[in-house]
Amino acid sequence: MAETLTIHIDGRTLVAQSGETVLQVAKRNHIAIPTLCHDERLDAAGCCRACLVEIDGQRRLQPACNWPVSKELRVQTSSPRVQRHRATLLGLYVADHRLDSDGLPVHTTQGNDLRSLAQGIEFKRLLSIDSPRHPRGVDANPYIAYDPDLCILCARCTRYCDEVEAVSAISLAWRGAETSIATAGDRGLLDTSCELCGGCVDVCPTGAMHAKQAPRFEKPEAVQKVRTTCNFCGVGCQLDLNVQEGKIIQVTAPPPGETVNDGNLCVKGRFAYGFVHHDDRLRTPKIRGADGELHDATWDEALHYAAKGLLGVRDRHGPHALGFVSSSRCTNEENYLVQKLARAVFQTNNVHQCAAT
Amino acid sequence: MQRKGAQREGILQQLADMGGASTAAVAQVAKQTGVPEADVWGAGLFYGLLRRDPQNTLVCNGLSCRIQGAEQLRHQLTEQGVATQSVACLGLCDVAPAAVGPALLPLPACDQPAHVLPNNPDLPINLGGERDRSYRGLGAALKLGADAVIAELQAAGLQGRGGAGFPAHLKWRSVRNQTDPTRYVVCNADEGEPGTFKDREVIRRQPDKLLEGLAIAAHVVQATEIYIYLRGEFERERRILQSAIDDACHGPLAGLQFHIVRGQGAYVCGEETALLESLEGRRGMPRLKPPFPTERGFRNKPTLIHNVETLACVPDIALRGGVRFASLGRREPGAKLYCISGHVQRPGVYELPLGVSLDELVACAGGYVGTPQAFSPGGASSGFLPMSERSRPLDFASLGQVGAMLGSAGAVVLNDTADLVLAVHWQLSFFEHESCGQCAPCRLGSRWVRQALDRYLASGDPGELSDVLDVAWEMNEGSICGLGQVASLPLTSAMQHFPEQFGRRPVTQEHHHG
Repeated sequence: MAETLTIHIDGRTLVAQSGETVLQVAKRNHIAIPTLCHDERLDAAGCCRACLVEIDGQRRLQPACNWPVSKELRVQTSSPRVQRHRATLLGLYVADHRLDSDGLPVHTTQGNDLRSLAQGIEFKRLLSIDSPRHPRGVDANPYIAYDPDLCILCARCTRYCDEVEAVSAISLAWRGAETSIATAGDRGLLDTSCELCGGCVDVCPTGAMHAKQAPRFEKPEAVQKVRTTCNFCGVGCQLDLNVQEGKIIQVTAPPPGETVNDGNLCVKGRFAYGFVHHDDRLRTPKIRGADGELHDATWDEALHYAAKGLLGVRDRHGPHALGFVSSSRCTNEENYLVQKLARAVFQTNNVHQCAAT
Repeated sequence: MQRKGAQREGILQQLADMGGASTAAVAQVAKQTGVPEADVWGAGLFYGLLRRDPQNTLVCNGLSCRIQGAEQLRHQLTEQGVATQSVACLGLCDVAPAAVGPALLPLPACDQPAHVLPNNPDLPINLGGERDRSYRGLGAALKLGADAVIAELQAAGLQGRGGAGFPAHLKWRSVRNQTDPTRYVVCNADEGEPGTFKDREVIRRQPDKLLEGLAIAAHVVQATEIYIYLRGEFERERRILQSAIDDACHGPLAGLQFHIVRGQGAYVCGEETALLESLEGRRGMPRLKPPFPTERGFRNKPTLIHNVETLACVPDIALRGGVRFASLGRREPGAKLYCISGHVQRPGVYELPLGVSLDELVACAGGYVGTPQAFSPGGASSGFLPMSERSRPLDFASLGQVGAMLGSAGAVVLNDTADLVLAVHWQLSFFEHESCGQCAPCRLGSRWVRQALDRYLASGDPGELSDVLDVAWEMNEGSICGLGQVASLPLTSAMQHFPEQFGRRPVTQEHHHG
């Protein structure tokens, strides 16, 4: 049973529940603590060190993401010591990152949390670090790519792959400044347990993990996000179509906690949007004419034509000559209607659903 | 039902048995254990011994070995047609330059017994004495009972001998008081701090005292399973320890299960939580603390972890009392194993009152070779001190006052034939190589600082070092574990105490290319 208590952050007295972390309480009260490796869905790693704060009674700075609240805990999030820490830490990150002409971490289509932090803090400028990550081999998978130069080794991708997806296709490998995100034997993702869900892309704070189909370095203001429902199955995952000039350039998951899918998507929802703008996509119903060719029709015409055909079979051969198979893309309600159509209208129990094999 | 994660614990040894973390071995281990292949791969590639060519002879390039001619040794071996590879530190600093063959046994040239003090039964560990297999300390401890043993430890003032100096009795009491009935005792025998080889010598000469200490600990904290995480390169020591366990497992050690787990070549696994990760078959990346291992350690259970030397002191404390042990020290309690190597006559391990000075320690070792210019008081991570500190007591508090530390008490002396800046460079390279890579301050900072020193060596321009103190500050403030916190100390301490050596520097051909 959670206990209610009070803690003090930067002199403000705040209500907290036992079991919460300093970061959770700070967030709820709009006290900004920077994070890079944090994701609510994952166990705290405390490895990016961005969220270090001063905690009364602790000799060392401690990660807010992992520090449990306790009665009358006193926390400083912007003391000179914390500020110096942030400025120098960020300086090291920036010195290890690909920079734009302004000397800031490059912008990517997915955004870049490091860039956002660097824009908000007067950080320590340091000469760049020569620290190539252990290279990754050729990967023929069509969807996901890894750019080690943008990787800050927050390990959100590997932890997500393990803790949320339970797939563990990728892991931290090697050691020290050589540490990299690897697959077993540096194989392509298609030759691993990877399901190509693309969660690693979504959780990456810097765009190191990115979608191969998407442009890499579009400005966020040029991209409009359109929230919609995935139509590949009946779960109803919400997705954000990232639209630029009327075209989908990539699909992202809404932030965790906002929708039923909690920030997760599968390979279809995230990557299989190519049909939307495809030349061969059907845009109207079609009816095959006496000439053997398909001709455009209205929905009314097409439905009437189909109904006529079904009724014809029933009249000639009886209701059991018909069978109804609904699509796995249907919702529960649609599946219900299909069986109702079969049983009530056509008087047959020959009804099935393609996902019920 | 099989405990979750049980299969994972064995993967590192399985990879070692198959010759290292090759793609084939990783695939097979993953198949046998059900551990995801990427995890096996990621864990395997973390460890130096799993990445080495198993045919190679390993030549140490630690500081003590470098100043005694490691480069030449490697050159000689290569000329003899021996395949070699350079490794960070082998824990053989007293017989420098050191090398071990493919079976991880020292080459004959560096396989001499270490210098120790002659037999003296007053010493708690008494490396020079007959091997003590009496287990009398264990008998005394059982008679005293758990609470009295902890009281004796407190009276002894025994501080952790691995480097942190944390009072032992606090750990014992904490584990004993946990509500969870399953507890473990873990021995940290992953001795890897350059300049340190005392635990090696304890295992070679008095292995039974270590086992006895572990047994006492297990009885006090009510554990039955004991894990000894032994440095992988200590193959001979592993055999000695195993045979000592076999000799006593039906006698004084009955009822306890001992497991020796081989380290696979990662210095950071000497950090206690990295060690636990490694024991569980993962990359040796330190955990966030709290929770401390005494609450949630090995397999998430209360765990008592101690260094070899700390445990080897326990039988004497149980037998002759904490007060007597405490009286062996000067300003801080107890006797202490000091390692000394570098430019001294008889490098070795000397058991002396805690708080002797460098001069006293070197006197035991037969005196200095040449004119000493600097020393590292407690292993690579303790930085460098000038000879003006030669009379300073080598203890936890006194060295802390000058920004150094006793650490693992692996003192190294450099005489004036050594280039201090190059010595600093070697130490920085060591930490950079051994950084686990988990947290940014250490991963990036250790490389940045080493590269700044590279630039200084290449250009001779001290301006290259102007940001070093800022980065070092951040490494200390921001790193998760002790490795990163002190990884720049070799440079910052040398800059502080030897400013004259960091002025404009003539550019040597060797470093001209950076």
